[in-house]
Amino acid sequence: MPLPEPTASVPETGSKNLDRRSFLRSTAAFAGLTALATSLSPLRELGDYTSTEQFLQKYYKELTPQEMKQVLERITNEVEHQYGIRPHVRDLKPMDGVEFVYALNLTRCIGCRKCVHACVAENNQSRSPEIQYIRVLKMPHGSMDVEKGDHTYDDKEVPDKGFFYMPVQCQQCKNPPCVKVCPVNATWQEKDGITVIDYDWCIGCRYCEAACPYWARRFNFTKPEIPADRLNPEMAYLGNRPRKQGVMEKCHFCIQRTRVGKYPACLEVCPVGARKFGNILDPESEISYILRTKRIFIQLKEEMGTNPRFFYYFDK
Amino acid sequence: MELKPSTPEAAKPSPTGYVFGAMVLVFFGLAAAFLGDLWGHPPARQNIALVEKSFLEKTPWRQTYADLVRAKEDLSDFDCYACHDKKKPPQLRFDANNILIVPVEHKDIVMGHGTHNRNNLCYNCHNESNLETLQVRDGREIKFADSTQLCGSCHGPNYRDWEAGAHGRINGYWNTSLGEAGKLDCANCHNPHAPRIPTRVPAPGPHALRTALAPSAHSETTH
Repeated sequence: MPLPEPTASVPETGSKNLDRRSFLRSTAAFAGLTALATSLSPLRELGDYTSTEQFLQKYYKELTPQEMKQVLERITNEVEHQYGIRPHVRDLKPMDGVEFVYALNLTRCIGCRKCVHACVAENNQSRSPEIQYIRVLKMPHGSMDVEKGDHTYDDKEVPDKGFFYMPVQCQQCKNPPCVKVCPVNATWQEKDGITVIDYDWCIGCRYCEAACPYWARRFNFTKPEIPADRLNPEMAYLGNRPRKQGVMEKCHFCIQRTRVGKYPACLEVCPVGARKFGNILDPESEISYILRTKRIFIQLKEEMGTNPRFFYYFDK
Repeated sequence: MELKPSTPEAAKPSPTGYVFGAMVLVFFGLAAAFLGDLWGHPPARQNIALVEKSFLEKTPWRQTYADLVRAKEDLSDFDCYACHDKKKPPQLRFDANNILIVPVEHKDIVMGHGTHNRNNLCYNCHNESNLETLQVRDGREIKFADSTQLCGSCHGPNYRDWEAGAHGRINGYWNTSLGEAGKLDCANCHNPHAPRIPTRVPAPGPHALRTALAPSAHSETTH
């Protein structure tokens, strides 16, 4: 404590028997510093939110391959530190001559919600609080009005008579409103049609959530909780690597699967084969066949002009 | 805590002393607040049960004859002539309403093929002259392993869609140059005797964020 006058008179006696004033002063100073340290204690949790390397990381599109390698190494270590499992994190680039399109057969869907949970398991979404990319709407026959849909249905058996089921997830629009509103370019559309999010660049402003007409974007209000034994170690930088609190996430057509040629997880688990996925630029693909021959309920909310790459169709 | 008042007292009229004293007080206040959790913890979250692994199952729920052969499983059920006589095709019996009576030996078979169960004659598909094969209505004999051709002989549009990959599940790779697309047979999903896909228990629905925070509000959820 900078109180020069009184301290100047003390030294002769100071070393042997501490006088009252300096004792009180040093005690107060010590207590004050302790209190300061305790009052700053919430900062200790800061390490969970970010690290120096992440804070200083460059924009995704400016990262050199060498820097990307370091970033992936950092993510691998972080995941291993948090979950005790060493993941396989990759940065997968879009393939040439590929544009992904999804089609969903409304005649077939029985509303079993298996896709919802397969997606959660594949993409390492938070289990508590729950984050799910797919919302299955139970809709009365004869209407396409999503306002009449109920996604909280709790039936003993599905499908229910007089209803059809319409799963809604990110529609991977050709004209995505979410990308337009992002103030920091943390979300963008890739060459193969997938709109991706860089979780390390997102500032969590939730503009994109408000802009999306399909309610497809989810926000991590709290620290996501994933049991270590349910963690999917096969990860991609723009895909299913674990997110932190305060960032957006959404369906990315299982980038870690589709960019290595596999089908998305929601499709593989569908017990009735209502979900179809493929490369629209390949005229031989099943998705081209469907869009050529089936009755397509063109796109959800097409009047919004978003031009989704997600099509709903009927068999009969 | 008793020491606090003495700090400004010791500082006498010096303004720096007052500032430091006030800061010490503030730190003490903050420290007490953090240690005593004056702001309180966020309300405890409701524990959401993990979804049962059966809902994540990717394998089809039925096995076809071809699957059984591939898995080298017990095929004694398909040994028709262990019971039947080779020379004498079994007779079909009907009740008063002309509905097929399923013999007790085959009582696990539930008949339900076609609208109003119209396709209820065993020999529409089974071959009466060789029970270990199937037959198409034009007389072609078909092995159990090739049953999709039999199904396709009546269900043309669906067969065409299936061939193009538009009907039925496909697992594996959309890009067949990188891996195999695991295409299934009709009987992997449809029971040939009752092909309509049975109703099932749906996986649990979503827990909204606010219900996860307040267990008491669970019953009054809206979308």
